[in-house]
Amino acid sequence: MQHEPFDMAAAEALHPNWKRDDHLLAVLARNAAAHPAEIALRERDRGIWHEYTWADYLAGVTEFAAGLEAQGVGPGDIVLVIGDNRPNLYMAMLGICALRAIPSPAYSDAPSDELAAQMVRENIRTAIAEDQEQVDKLMEARERHAGLSLIVYDDPRGLQGREPDGVQGFDDIRAQGAARIKAEPGLAGDLVARASVHDVAVLMHSSGTTGAPKGIPLKHGHVLSGVRNAAAAGYFRQGETHMAYLPMAWVGDFIFSIGAGLELRFNVNIPEDQETAMHDLREIAPTLYFASPRAWSAMLTRVQVGMAETGGLKRRLYDFFMPKAMEAERARLDGKPGARPWRWLGELLVYGPLRDRLGLARVERAYTAGEAIGEDVFLWFRALGLNLRQFYGQTENCALAVAQKPEDISLTTVGRPFPGVEMQIDEHGEILLKGDNIFDGYFQNPKSTAETLVDGWLHTGDAGQIEPDGQLVVLGRVSEVVEKADGTRFIATYIENRLKFSPYIKDAAVIGKGREILTAIVCIDFQAVGQWAQETGVAYTSYAELSQAAPVYGLIEREIADVNAHLPHGLSVARFVNLHKEFDPDDGEVTRTRKLKRNVIDERYGPIIEALNAGDSQIDFKAQITYENGQTGSLDRLLRLADVKEAR
Amino acid sequence: MFYRLSGTYHTTYESDRKLWKIPADRWQVIAVLVLAVAAPFLVSPLYLGSYVLPWVIWSAAALSLTLLMGMAGQLHFGFAAVMAIGAYSSIHLVRFGVPFEIALILSGLIAAGIGTVFGAAALRVKGLYLVMATLAMQYLVDWVVVNVPAISGGAHATLRTPAVSFLFVDVSSLASRYWLALGWAVLLTLFFLNVKRTSFGRALVAIRDKDFAAAVIGVDPFRTKMMAFFTSSFMGGVTGAILAYCYYRAVTPEQFGFDVSIQLVAMVLVGGLGSVIGSYLGAGFVLLAPIFLTNFIAGMAGAGWIPVSQNFLSHLPLIIYGAMIIGFLLFEPLGLAKIYDNIRKYFLVWPFRHAKS
Repeated sequence: MQHEPFDMAAAEALHPNWKRDDHLLAVLARNAAAHPAEIALRERDRGIWHEYTWADYLAGVTEFAAGLEAQGVGPGDIVLVIGDNRPNLYMAMLGICALRAIPSPAYSDAPSDELAAQMVRENIRTAIAEDQEQVDKLMEARERHAGLSLIVYDDPRGLQGREPDGVQGFDDIRAQGAARIKAEPGLAGDLVARASVHDVAVLMHSSGTTGAPKGIPLKHGHVLSGVRNAAAAGYFRQGETHMAYLPMAWVGDFIFSIGAGLELRFNVNIPEDQETAMHDLREIAPTLYFASPRAWSAMLTRVQVGMAETGGLKRRLYDFFMPKAMEAERARLDGKPGARPWRWLGELLVYGPLRDRLGLARVERAYTAGEAIGEDVFLWFRALGLNLRQFYGQTENCALAVAQKPEDISLTTVGRPFPGVEMQIDEHGEILLKGDNIFDGYFQNPKSTAETLVDGWLHTGDAGQIEPDGQLVVLGRVSEVVEKADGTRFIATYIENRLKFSPYIKDAAVIGKGREILTAIVCIDFQAVGQWAQETGVAYTSYAELSQAAPVYGLIEREIADVNAHLPHGLSVARFVNLHKEFDPDDGEVTRTRKLKRNVIDERYGPIIEALNAGDSQIDFKAQITYENGQTGSLDRLLRLADVKEAR
Repeated sequence: MFYRLSGTYHTTYESDRKLWKIPADRWQVIAVLVLAVAAPFLVSPLYLGSYVLPWVIWSAAALSLTLLMGMAGQLHFGFAAVMAIGAYSSIHLVRFGVPFEIALILSGLIAAGIGTVFGAAALRVKGLYLVMATLAMQYLVDWVVVNVPAISGGAHATLRTPAVSFLFVDVSSLASRYWLALGWAVLLTLFFLNVKRTSFGRALVAIRDKDFAAAVIGVDPFRTKMMAFFTSSFMGGVTGAILAYCYYRAVTPEQFGFDVSIQLVAMVLVGGLGSVIGSYLGAGFVLLAPIFLTNFIAGMAGAGWIPVSQNFLSHLPLIIYGAMIIGFLLFEPLGLAKIYDNIRKYFLVWPFRHAKS
């Protein structure tokens, strides 16, 4: 069955204020007409940056669309897009939109059975893949979903000239399209004009922390109004330099790199590889930078490890200037005017060079969202001179709903709604949002839609409260509020996030539903703890061995005790275990966006949790492992269990 | 600290191969060049004529020699002879009526021709034996210059350089002589920087590292060694001519003696083999350090701070100078260029210790 969004009358009635011709392709055509020679996209390939102007961009989109249409893709078809960020994949997404078909991006590390499930659910017949690896996965998935009739690949390496059945090159399709456009003079203009503001621009997916992912269709109108609201709030500027390094299947990338990229004529830069992203970031030095709290924290850890290895003058300067700036920022956070004497000298000697090293030298708008950010991380980057701000949003509202203003410096709040977005907290403490950027319902899931959208209000599922100054505080998922045996209510994520603020703790799962005490499964940060072990002379050979070392238990215990000191009474973590491995999306313990899958953790680590609660001092655990090739095996691990002293 | 790398990206491989890709390096080069060009207005004629001008010319000579010694690995202890050939040829050519510009090139070619003939020994002998072969050249050329009156005008004669103009500009004032020498040094510098990136430069390096191995990967040792001697001798010959016209203005055979060859080798070694900046630093050190030391010691002695005999006092600067050379080479065997490089890298990775963080 195909997605049928073409009840235009009903769609128009839903958004009477939207103008029909105000869609992404019209915006692209406008940019190409007004600024044909300006650089729209830049991609690093084998060390140098290839540039695409707006005219190239439009030509790529229309030619690919014309070629794809010749292959039988028509309005309402859903087309899978999988791979790392590539100009051709962005062009393909917009080309698909031009045909009034719907791009459905998937995470590039999704295994083939997840892809097969997605293709069956959405009845996908065409897929655009980045390279041979993705084509191989799709070929495998095709065995379970025979409907997949066309796979288009971008990178010709290992494929060109020996394509399997039903596999074609992006360039070949584009060449066919170019030939068609040459033969039919009106076609290029027609392709740009076919879409409507009420068409679905992209089909995103919920992360699927519970059950199968839900499809979230976002229309051109949603995306554009979200971007315009944000621009009106000064959140984006015209002509930003932007780094498109986050997964294409994440809503933020579509909004930043395509939505805002087109509407505000961004200069979108695509790194060579995920591994080179940080290096390429420094080459480009963007003006706008978004990273998850986890990524900011990883960046800080990198600097701290680097500084730990440095000695002499450099180290002394860092140790002098950084704490000074942190102190001043902390005072500002508390509402006191933080004086920063010697700031210009610090700027010259420490802050400026560090920003340069990180590639953040030109960043004027630095953002984070998704989860809470650690105080130290937040203050450190602010002290460095970055105006790091938090925002709040979800796929359902184009990720653009609430954000801090430049003058709102706060750790706990996420700011105020954008102009054009209404917000309220209902009687259960749930955050409700309303506006043109809120989607119109899940893909073929009226039940979930009815639960989520009530009278035009989006029920976010997040518990929150509004501060007296109008700023929003997000507490956690409404569904995650659970009770201990004695009836104390808590949100595990809230505690976990605070544990993760420690540089030594990479991941943590807090368990306590219906239990007497709270216990934690901790995954240490290999880099930071490894460095610490080197400095303190703890010998280790592997992650597993390091995690079980007695001094490391002492270190983690101190970190947990620190967090406990700031938690309300009865919510402190009493016992913990250092897991012998990190949580891994391939093992299903976390989603691809690294959210915990609690049911998997409860089931897999059940014996550990029982032993923690029983007060045992160690456990012989049979660990299930999944190898990269999909095989499974098991290993016996002796894990140490430890108490946190003075836990209340 | 002042090396800022962010925002430096390349859209073509040509721009990625630029000589000074980092803005801070570019600014340093521009600043040094501006200072060098403006030197006649910045320093007194005494200093310009007796310190800066010889420094620039000897740097050019060190660059010529380091191409052979540093890049191609062929030791040469008779480089002053090569320069002598250039100097004498150019004077005679100009006297013969050849325009100065063409005389410079011809004198380079003559030096290159003779230098290559002696360099042919390098095909058979290596290391210390090559040193002997080039020493032979030094003494042969010395002997010929002194004993053929047609060249030197007699054993104790001084040959004055005729008045010349370069590209219609009269080269007789100090500033114009300085600028001509500077122009030649800059030209050599650019040539050297670029030759490192050509197939010829890579062939030279391959020969230096191991000539058998270079032959195995398809580098012709005969041709490459000959070209190394030819190129280096050409550069040395022209530098000799420049030295004669811009600095000495009257040449005698003693100005190109064996001790000058040794000084040149010292410049190349102290500066750092095969390095451009090392040639400048090495020439500066070998040329200027003794002068400054002498002045310094004389000043100290004049103030009565060094209570030693007058006889010992005259040797003290040389003792310190020798100790400094040994000290520098002990501290950093790769020469002053490596010290510069270490300092540059210290700031390049600021505030970290290495580039990986």
